[in-house]
Amino acid sequence: MDSIVSVRRDETAADLGALAPEGQARPYDEMLTPDGKVRPHYAALDARLSTLSPDELADRQRTQERFFLLQGITFTVYGAESSTERIIPTDILPRIIPAAEWARIEAGLTQRLRALNMFLADIYSEQQILMDGVVPRELVLKAPSYRREMQNLYVPHKAYANVCGSDLIRQPNGEFAVLEDNLRVPSGVSYMLANREASRRVFPGTFRGAGVRAIDRYPDLLLTTLKGMAADWRPNPQVVVLTPGVYNSAYYEHAYLARLMGVPLVEGRDLVVHDNMVYMRTTTGLRRIDVIYRRVDDDFIDPLTFRRDSALGAAGLFNAYRTGNVVICNAPGTGVADDKAVYAYVPEIIRYYLGEDAILPNIETYLCREPAQLSHVLANLDKLVVKAVGASGGYGMLVGPHSTKAQQDAFAEALRADPANYIAQPTIQLSTAPCLIDHAVDPRHVDLRPFILCGEKIVVTPGALTRVALRKGSLVVNSSQGGGSKDTWVLSETKGDKS
Amino acid sequence: MMLARVADSLYWIGRYVERAEHMCRLSDVMLNATLDRSEAAAQVARIALAAVGDPDVAKAKSPYDAALALALDRDDDGSIYSSIARARENARQVRDQITTETWERLNLIYLRMSDPEVRRSFEDGSQLFLHDTIADLHLFKGAGDATMSHGEGWSFLLLGVYLERAQLIGSLLEVVFGEGRRRRPIGDHFALTSVLRMGCALEPYLRAHTADMQPRLILRFLMLDEDFPRSIRFCTQEIESHLTAIIRHAGMAGSVGPDRLAGRLRARMQYADMDEIEAQGPSAFLKTVLDECAAIHRNLYDTFVAYPLEDRLPA
Repeated sequence: MDSIVSVRRDETAADLGALAPEGQARPYDEMLTPDGKVRPHYAALDARLSTLSPDELADRQRTQERFFLLQGITFTVYGAESSTERIIPTDILPRIIPAAEWARIEAGLTQRLRALNMFLADIYSEQQILMDGVVPRELVLKAPSYRREMQNLYVPHKAYANVCGSDLIRQPNGEFAVLEDNLRVPSGVSYMLANREASRRVFPGTFRGAGVRAIDRYPDLLLTTLKGMAADWRPNPQVVVLTPGVYNSAYYEHAYLARLMGVPLVEGRDLVVHDNMVYMRTTTGLRRIDVIYRRVDDDFIDPLTFRRDSALGAAGLFNAYRTGNVVICNAPGTGVADDKAVYAYVPEIIRYYLGEDAILPNIETYLCREPAQLSHVLANLDKLVVKAVGASGGYGMLVGPHSTKAQQDAFAEALRADPANYIAQPTIQLSTAPCLIDHAVDPRHVDLRPFILCGEKIVVTPGALTRVALRKGSLVVNSSQGGGSKDTWVLSETKGDKS
Repeated sequence: MMLARVADSLYWIGRYVERAEHMCRLSDVMLNATLDRSEAAAQVARIALAAVGDPDVAKAKSPYDAALALALDRDDDGSIYSSIARARENARQVRDQITTETWERLNLIYLRMSDPEVRRSFEDGSQLFLHDTIADLHLFKGAGDATMSHGEGWSFLLLGVYLERAQLIGSLLEVVFGEGRRRRPIGDHFALTSVLRMGCALEPYLRAHTADMQPRLILRFLMLDEDFPRSIRFCTQEIESHLTAIIRHAGMAGSVGPDRLAGRLRARMQYADMDEIEAQGPSAFLKTVLDECAAIHRNLYDTFVAYPLEDRLPA
């Protein structure tokens, strides 16, 4: 029987050379050291893989895909003739993170979310940080995600962002850095949990032996966080999950979280606001709601306060919130702290509120609003990644090294017309992890999205969604653009610290 | 406590799976019967199509095409595919309310019905295909029975099942025994057996009445038998008991609502007199039954789902 991994090892050097554009550092390989040795925390998986034939591996991949299909973890592709259900591609090989590395990530994420929540509390009250000139005033107040309506509004525990999903990447030197903070309605946690369900079935022996930290308490911790946001005089707070509905691409996740927390999944049409209290229509009449975990964007939660044409929220919801009769999680207006331009100031924000250096570094970011930085960006469009401040999901983006001259010219024009709307970053070589591609193990670029909860205290779940760019050489991991995902094993202290 | 929208969806899941199962059975009996080229076989095909609600008698001449369209036509709201797709769509909307075991059964049926190759598997063995679909629908109900809490939600789901069943059996009996259509009375043994098959009642009937196929006995069995789960009387017993359970959950006992209608209908079936029914003709009786089922459906909506908000606002 051929050992798949040894085949891969022979090809490693050539593969990685192909992935890294000329003149750039080679991407960090999660499994192999630069001289081709298996890193200690991957040894058990490597040993297991070398006993499996390509057919057996493909079998396991199919088992996993069937699990996702049956569970309904799918999105619908609407064709001309008929619509078909597709699963989000998943990869069966887990990505493994040793305990010491995780400890640093956990500390870094905790520090970062604490500072960002302090920033939000400040921005929406005294605005001390703006007066001290640490962050430019108009950068914050003119951001489209800034909500004037939130000014001087009481938020329990000053926890504005209760659920956060940060995107981390591992740089070529092996250090994790934050690429983006998601403080609005981050999704993907159901994939983290479903991938874990699947990988426990696919590699039971290896899983048992590895000492993987459990993540299945997430729904319980989420519920505790949400209940902790309710007013003290409501001893048994009624929590609900608010979804835009069954046609939303993350609907599966909304239903999943509601089911595992044991709380109702409501839509806007189930809600009634009366006398600044929020109720849901039940079979027995109206029932009061205390905490809304909303998976609807700011713009759509209340047609009276935000977008008038929205049918996804409830009229009067924001006023009920303002009165303190209901809590909305995450708070409206948290997007101002994950704005791509504000991002550049996060290390300063951490220093300002906590007096500490950021544990997890930022990616170097050029703010095109600054004339000097703009001219640098314009001169280096072929090397940089340019992003529109307001866009997400990999859209509105120029990846310099993979772009044509025409695309660069178009972006240059857009940059000159509206420089404040853009930032630029160097092209980062995301680290690679082994993936099962066409019956063989092959490295693909990955990022890391851990999930952090913040109510009375901050909790980082010891696991994450690892997103994979399944197209060879691609750096785009978004599921809307050919990305997939895989399970992430965070090892416990005793097993993981041999390295 | 349960969201009104959720109760509505569970109720419709029940209705759609019951409808899909009934349509599968009608198609199956029709295909099986028309393997013979007798006059009785053609009569069975006409009965099946009329019971489906398809007035186009010409289709009885090509029963296979009729069955294929009834099973898989995505543009026809009455097709088995449409019923399954809607049941599953409703289940997706209340995915947090039904257990994973129950969901998986329904999702599996849907995935098979919507597979691009589905037409080929139907053509490879249409009766096997229908048989498997019926069996999987039974598994769905069984999984629900074995894993879901038998609380309010479960009662709404079964209310949908039994209301739909009472109406489907009622329509079938009207087609077969009603006097409105001026059809020759059905006396043929084969045709009568097929009617019992359409109600999934052949074996229980044989045990109760032996192989003595009499239209009067068949009508009485499908309408008034106390223990057979597809008789209209049995359905009305279940409708009443699930409505009572829902009203108990809702803490609304004592107020007059759909339970009064359900109780009256159950009593009507329980104390019905076969001689009287025959004297006035079964059509009149069946019409009363179907009308009262429709009234329960409307009343259910007014009480639990689409109630006016003004009545329920806190003082």
